[in-house]
Amino acid sequence: MTTTLEVPKYATVGKSVHRIDALEKVTGRAIYGDDMRFPDSLYGKVLRSPHAHAKIKRIDTSEAEKLPGVKAVVTGADAPFRGGEAIRDQPFLAVGKVRFAGEAVAAVAAETEEIAERAIELIKVEYEPLPAVFDVVEALKPTAPLVHEDLHTYAHMPIVNPVPNTNICAKFEFNQGDVEKGFRQADCVFEETFTFPSGHHCQIEPFMAIAQAEVSGRITIWVPNDAPHRLRKDLADAMGVPFERLRVITPPYMGGGFGGKGGLKVEMVCIALAMRTEYRPVKIVLTREETFTSSLMRHSAVVTVKTGVKKDGTIVASQAKLLYNTGAYAEKGPTVTLHGCESGVGPYRIPNVKVEGYTVYTNRPVAGALRGYGLPQSSFAHESLIDVIAAKLGIDPVEFRLKNALEEGSINPTRGDVLASVGLKECLLKAAKEIEWGKPRPPNRGVGIACEYKGTKTPSGSAAFVKVEQDGSVSVITSAVEVGQGIKTILAQITSEELGVPIERITVTSPDTDYTPFDASTTASRATFHMGNAVRFAARDAKEQILNLAAPILGANPQEVEAIDGEIRVKGGNRKITIGQAIKSRYRAGLTILGRGSYYPEVQGTMFSARSIFYMYGAQAVDLEVDPETGKIRIVKIAAAHDVGKAINPMACEGQIEGGVVQGIGTAIFEEVKYDAKGMMLNPNFRDYRIPTASDAPEVAPIMVEAAHDEGPFGAKGIGEMTLVSTPTAVANAIYNATGIRIKELPVTQEKFFDLMKGRSA
Amino acid sequence: MNLRVNGRETALDVDSTKTLLDVLRGDLFLTGTKRGCDSGECGACTVLLNGQAVHSCLVLAAELDGHDVVTIEGLSKDPKDLHPLQKAFIEKGAVQCGFCTPGVIMTAKALLDKNPDPTEEEVRYGISGNLCRCTGYSKIVDAILAAGEEIRMKKQ
Repeated sequence: MTTTLEVPKYATVGKSVHRIDALEKVTGRAIYGDDMRFPDSLYGKVLRSPHAHAKIKRIDTSEAEKLPGVKAVVTGADAPFRGGEAIRDQPFLAVGKVRFAGEAVAAVAAETEEIAERAIELIKVEYEPLPAVFDVVEALKPTAPLVHEDLHTYAHMPIVNPVPNTNICAKFEFNQGDVEKGFRQADCVFEETFTFPSGHHCQIEPFMAIAQAEVSGRITIWVPNDAPHRLRKDLADAMGVPFERLRVITPPYMGGGFGGKGGLKVEMVCIALAMRTEYRPVKIVLTREETFTSSLMRHSAVVTVKTGVKKDGTIVASQAKLLYNTGAYAEKGPTVTLHGCESGVGPYRIPNVKVEGYTVYTNRPVAGALRGYGLPQSSFAHESLIDVIAAKLGIDPVEFRLKNALEEGSINPTRGDVLASVGLKECLLKAAKEIEWGKPRPPNRGVGIACEYKGTKTPSGSAAFVKVEQDGSVSVITSAVEVGQGIKTILAQITSEELGVPIERITVTSPDTDYTPFDASTTASRATFHMGNAVRFAARDAKEQILNLAAPILGANPQEVEAIDGEIRVKGGNRKITIGQAIKSRYRAGLTILGRGSYYPEVQGTMFSARSIFYMYGAQAVDLEVDPETGKIRIVKIAAAHDVGKAINPMACEGQIEGGVVQGIGTAIFEEVKYDAKGMMLNPNFRDYRIPTASDAPEVAPIMVEAAHDEGPFGAKGIGEMTLVSTPTAVANAIYNATGIRIKELPVTQEKFFDLMKGRSA
Repeated sequence: MNLRVNGRETALDVDSTKTLLDVLRGDLFLTGTKRGCDSGECGACTVLLNGQAVHSCLVLAAELDGHDVVTIEGLSKDPKDLHPLQKAFIEKGAVQCGFCTPGVIMTAKALLDKNPDPTEEEVRYGISGNLCRCTGYSKIVDAILAAGEEIRMKKQ
């Protein structure tokens, strides 16, 4: 199951080398988007809708235009473009009507931020409020107000099928076996509905962009977006221009992503302004409030699961229905729902399965990717129900899961593909052991466990160059985005290992679509696997060229030499030459060795419709204590075991796990976006939308399981998203264990839990 | 007005509405101090004002004539001779996206200056005004405790 035997010896892979960007970051010298400044830059500000759903009757910008220092004022009419990866449904600025409170209605570019702010206040907009719909169940009723009347006219991805004249943005279904027959075979059938809250990424860096138009019609945008090549495509599709008219540059560093910094956000307004400023760049930095209301949310969801089991605990059938509230625009909602569906019945061997998922438009802010990509919602439902069933059958929750857990060669319950590199049971066992599962605990103390599996977006491609210079220094030319996860370090380690060059001699670029080759995105926990492969192949290509160059100089055949520590050595001999010397001795006047690499998994199907090239597995166990007097939940410890294939950098994996788990605690017991009756967000700030602080964070025990993947670089898979998926459910299951109270709606804030405890004792 | 910034007397002409954060980032190009919320809730803009950790987004610059400010850029002049906190943050893996890092380090500096031998709980409480969304805080706490130890060793 795992690769504990015959582990090859690596020089840097598998070692917790220090991050190559850490020095810049601890000295305050790392440059983020808002740290970039152009001498002739204008400042942009956005006027946003105060209504969740309203007709725009009239916009008067004349007073704003007259204000000295204002360079441009734009409305939807000035930028008649619609964007969106899944469905092209979102106007750059609202046209005709607004669909959520916080939508961009007009924008100003001015000499200073203060002037831009004043100008925004001078714009008059006349609205006619329309009936709005906020709830996902309400939105599906035939009488519900329509969020998009023109749904039938929008371009969309082939796998997304919006239903015109409804609020159904997308619909998915997975079927295996015969679920009705399965339920008939079951000794007991259980069914429950669970509600999952929306939430925000709360990257500490606010959203920003700088855009500049050129006289040729070309537009350059500097933006911390997690997928610069996808952004270029999305913009090109929206604006109807070829790729060469757009250039996307990622600032050197990004202050956190978690799925939120993809797609079109501040980019749209920034470009609309830049097209009207006579080639002067425009910079927009969103306020924290705008970052909450007008960037991206997690989908709130209502999920119903029905599962049939034999008395001995064997699962024979499972059915799930997922309703995901995607807000006003599709964004990545359809594929978020799709992934929620794919993992919709959990990581178990189940012969009869039916999963239906609906992505539903409402007048809430836009929902899309947030760490876990639709899985926290569906996982909360089926992993809670598993606990209900285990309790009813009198089987230990860990045993119950182990009995049904996916293993090497199992059939994926939803897609039907055969699974390889499956470290799930090891994750369950290690998490349970670490938390001392089964140990008697005092009253009001409890343990809970939850597990999951997740695929990555497939097929998707990555390409890279490895450039070796005359002095033997190396640059890795890649569009992978350093969002904080440590991808620059991972790629440097892979290059170092493959090329035999010390890591200190390697630099890794930030993306610029003019220079760095294609990468689908730094999302879906795909970067280490996909870009890791591309970089490894590029390093191998460069190495072969260098070996061919150096061998004759050393009087040997290329097969007789190897690259180690920046040198080419004759195997088993003393003769050696540095890479720099080899290049210089052949190309005295100078030349670059350019290694090329790309990776594209060969699987049947189009993007998102294919089986995943790899699946990640994980299990988390929680030990917590509740205070029956106050309703306070104190999480004592979380053990989080994750199958990463191969930890290229164990310390980076630990960091991912610790960070994801603490985000998950926020989701479980703190974080909830609140709105008033009209759909205005009530808590768009860190005071009222509370995220965990250092005092809230419990002891986290990160555990890496390594079920190596045949196709992964050195066996590696991914990690980022999985770290949050199981945390909220493990917390909820531990609350049940401590109190007998089954949590069906998150978050379990102290207030809510106090009421639940009171209700029980009443 | 005059402000002592990172040990250097700096003459400034500032608008009365500007915050210390505006001046540091906008006038002095000290962009290591980050703007995360502009309302004193995230801690990314933390600097030392007369040795105390403050949210620079909440301090009006014009009131600071004659005061002393230290930012992340002033913590060590030589990247080969980092402050123990900076070294520990690198070694313990306490840095991910890095956006909160300068603020956390400055808060930790004030904390260790006052109490070079804090308990884990004191460290956690001490940095609870600095939000980090990447790390889950474990490695940050480890790094601050390790830096405290190094500082104590050096003093002996």
